[in-house]
Amino acid sequence: MGWFSSSKPEHPAAASRQGRTKCWESRDAYFACLDSIGVVKAGEEGKACSTQAVQYKENCAKSWIEYFNQRRVIADRQKDRLASASTYSAGASNRTIS
Amino acid sequence: MFSSCRNLLQSSLRARGTPKSFSTLRSSTIPTATTSRSRQIQQRFYSSSEPPPSQAANDRTLVGIFTPKAAALFVATGVGLYFYFRSEKQRLLEQRQKEREVSMVGRARVGGPFTLSTHLNKPFSELNLVGKWNLVYFGFTNCPDICPAELDKMGVVIDALEKKHGRVFQPLFVSVDPARDTPQQVVQYLQDFHPRLTGLIGDYASTKAVCKAYRVYFSTPPNADPKGDYLVDHSIFVYLMDPEGEFVEAFGQAVKAEEIVERVGKEIKDWEGRVGMNL
Repeated sequence: MGWFSSSKPEHPAAASRQGRTKCWESRDAYFACLDSIGVVKAGEEGKACSTQAVQYKENCAKSWIEYFNQRRVIADRQKDRLASASTYSAGASNRTIS
Repeated sequence: MFSSCRNLLQSSLRARGTPKSFSTLRSSTIPTATTSRSRQIQQRFYSSSEPPPSQAANDRTLVGIFTPKAAALFVATGVGLYFYFRSEKQRLLEQRQKEREVSMVGRARVGGPFTLSTHLNKPFSELNLVGKWNLVYFGFTNCPDICPAELDKMGVVIDALEKKHGRVFQPLFVSVDPARDTPQQVVQYLQDFHPRLTGLIGDYASTKAVCKAYRVYFSTPPNADPKGDYLVDHSIFVYLMDPEGEFVEAFGQAVKAEEIVERVGKEIKDWEGRVGMNL
């Protein structure tokens, strides 16, 4: 538009399938890296996963990154809750058997 | 048919006067042809049309079977059957009416008048729903992953059902992001989805109105820069509207494509049976 505007549009990924796929792939790579070091909340990984983090930020809009990171935390909490629920029910069924 | 029945009835009713049982009546009528013929003529005395003599033998054998008891039984059965079928028909009609009422009561009041325009800047209202099966999804183009997944699912459903039913669908994408989803943006967005998918856009007020009519919640973050990077929170449903533009069903995110195909396929079949035509 002008000399001072940045060449990168605000949300480059949204409108095309290609852009979305690229974002999802770099997100998955970054999250896989977080999984490998046992980090759930993005940003708490320190210096690890920096290559993936750069790609992630490059290919996804900021709003998407916030959304995906939040959802990762929520999914993890749900997983914990489900796991504890299933162990509880397993314990309960054990009790009824014995 | 009816008059000959009446003749038979009259003759058998006349035969009632004789206190003879079935077997004795039979034995008395059969031996001599002359007595039975005169009896025939006598019996026919009150009937309106005199049968030709050639039919007399025929009538005699019929009268032989048609005793008073049999006649009474015949009449009773006929009357009984008539009333049975009449009540049965009435019951069936009532049941059908009840079913229709139940399905109408069961339907949520979703939908109604709205005014939007398509991604090609043509006006589009609820009247444009008429004549096709409509699959309606509310979303926005900057939607990270759910909207594209749902729109892909919609495409799968349409392709699967149109193989069998022909071009019966009108897929619709209603934007809940009036600030950023310009026609241009929507045109680009729709390229990746079903080729007949129509984007619907309106200003904030008309978007709010259509969402209210369809019971769709949407929320743009407060202080959001209209040209900025934000997400719109919204309810995720694919709505099925029938060819009269009436709401049929809403499919949540968890419903799989195959399940939607089955449900919508059943609706199409029911509709074709009810209306008596295909689209």
